[in-house]
Amino acid sequence: MKIILEQLLNGLTIGSFYALIALGYSMVYGVMKLINFAHGDLFALGSYLGFTLLVSGSAYVSVTFGIWGGMIAAMLIAAIGIGIAGTLIERIAYRPIYPAGRLPAVVSALGASIVIQNGIMIVWGPRPQAYSSKFVPSHMLNIGGVKITSMQIIVLVISFILMGLLFYIVQKTTFGAAIRACALDRSTAALMGINIETVIFFIFALGPALGGMAGVMVGMYYRKITFVMGWNYGLKAFTATILGGIGNIPGAMLGGLLLGVLEMIGSVYISTAYKDVFVFVILILVLIFRPTGLLGEKIAEKV
Amino acid sequence: MKRIKFLSSTSILLIVICVISLGTFAAEKPPVVIGLQGPITGPYAVEGEMAKQSAEIAAQMINDKGGILDGRMIEIRVADDACQPKAGALAAMKLISQKDVVAAIQTYGSFVVLPASDVYEKFKKVNIAYGATITDLTERGLKYFFRTCGRTDTQAKFFAEKVVPYFDAKKIAIMNNNTSFSVGLAEESREALQSRIDAGEVEIVYFDAINPDETDFTVPLTKLRETNPDVFYYTGHFPEAGLIIRQAREIGIDAVFVGGDAVVNSDFINIAGIEYAKGCYQTQEALIEFFNHPEAVAFKEAYKAKYGTIPSSPWSVYAADALYVLAEAIDKSGSTDSDVIADYLRNKMEAFPSITGPIGFDEIGDRVGSSSHLYIVNEDGSSSLIDTE
Repeated sequence: MKIILEQLLNGLTIGSFYALIALGYSMVYGVMKLINFAHGDLFALGSYLGFTLLVSGSAYVSVTFGIWGGMIAAMLIAAIGIGIAGTLIERIAYRPIYPAGRLPAVVSALGASIVIQNGIMIVWGPRPQAYSSKFVPSHMLNIGGVKITSMQIIVLVISFILMGLLFYIVQKTTFGAAIRACALDRSTAALMGINIETVIFFIFALGPALGGMAGVMVGMYYRKITFVMGWNYGLKAFTATILGGIGNIPGAMLGGLLLGVLEMIGSVYISTAYKDVFVFVILILVLIFRPTGLLGEKIAEKV
Repeated sequence: MKRIKFLSSTSILLIVICVISLGTFAAEKPPVVIGLQGPITGPYAVEGEMAKQSAEIAAQMINDKGGILDGRMIEIRVADDACQPKAGALAAMKLISQKDVVAAIQTYGSFVVLPASDVYEKFKKVNIAYGATITDLTERGLKYFFRTCGRTDTQAKFFAEKVVPYFDAKKIAIMNNNTSFSVGLAEESREALQSRIDAGEVEIVYFDAINPDETDFTVPLTKLRETNPDVFYYTGHFPEAGLIIRQAREIGIDAVFVGGDAVVNSDFINIAGIEYAKGCYQTQEALIEFFNHPEAVAFKEAYKAKYGTIPSSPWSVYAADALYVLAEAIDKSGSTDSDVIADYLRNKMEAFPSITGPIGFDEIGDRVGSSSHLYIVNEDGSSSLIDTE
């Protein structure tokens, strides 16, 4: 029983990373009907930005704020930096070709992904980097026989706070209502006096900012970061988005957490080598019975 | 007008031709170009970088003594394969398509060598692998393929017959990373243990694979912890091994950690952190730091003088070895023809004194007499040889 609980926590930790990244995919798709393939690499960029702040800039960041303050400062700065990067990509890579339709934008997104990935390689080098253990709180806790590391608690708590905050913004505020209106029908929303430009700006800032924070946490939790890491996480988060229902924000959170737990179940009860097979079989089954994903609502096809 | 244009362009062309031919005449003897294929980018870049540095040092040492074939210098031409099978075949093509490349030293990772060696074979270019140990590679009857490193079956046998008894281990966990090399070493180790398993002396309590592209291994490791192994043998590569050892220790696995021959190098220690890397064992071919014969000492000194340290894995040294044997074969046979070089390597080279000891090749292109050893990582990141006898 203790082992199952421990494994569940392990699965949820991975799952909350997937969920944070998945939110970026889902929000952009909801409003723009565009799959932002550069999102995974923005996440990796966030990880490297946090690395620079914590390791190279440690003299200022960690000394000024202490280990916890340094961590939070690194996450906030990375979030702001990646938010800016996200909006820049929208300006440079997507906005000029919106009139050409949705498919050219997807190709442009893949191009942006390659540009960011190679940009990271040029700036930080092709070798993997490691977050130094000095700047990461690492304690082993034993709660009633269940072993959990302090980083796991931090990751879970911060992820759930961020997800809750986003849920609140989208569901309870006026601005959130504007985002949801845009997701339903952009042209009608514009006629109702909603500033579409502002909504798009925030979508492309907020999603990557969450991804950037996830990047810093991944770096602190696993410590090893590589310039190609965005691809794997991006793919998993995209899968989570599909599982939960693309365009749906609670769906992305549920999809991410569920994916982490499913991977855990697959590797514990079947075999680690076959866990991805297990996860994708479940995904196919879900899509057979609910083609729009678990929480996706049926939307009439626009003609 | 037309005529002036024609005249001027013709004269420019003539001048260009003269300059080019002058250039060739000035350098009387063209260099002997040897290709080096390796992971210069990607997660395994550290191995490619060290291989490039080692081969360049070896080339420098030969050139300083006056080169080969009566004064021709050796030039290394690098092709990056990022340690990916598809890129490996492309890098091989890239080297072959350059007419002056005589032979190739290729590359880190058996799963990259596999497709690349087929390409070299097709275009009849001698290629020597430096970091590719899976048993099958030389069993395919290739004519132009050789390797200066050993084979996984030697290592698996060493693990079963020396390492397991050394730790007096009863319960063994074996984990691989689903690459052909890693699966091969894991399965051959299990086979080598089979007779003792049948006798009930040892037991394999865990045997599974992980995906090396991932970063979280706590779930499979928690499963492994519940089997209470005495020895945890990881047969994968260093980028994920650094994460695995740290996550394993953090969740309370206290089994002896033994890595395969691709686990321990400077990047492993960097990723794991020395607090987790110290005390880790590895089954490895002979490390350069424990060689004392003149060729090894000269190489170590030259490398240290240029880069301040010595290579942290044996593979890059094998790349330098490959360069030495190629230079020797070309020099002694007096030819840059692939068939002549291949014939010399296979039939005439016997105990050629190289950096990692005497080198000769058997009928299928394997190095004669390679051996495995057990090492432990010390607190300062260096390694010590363990006597397993």
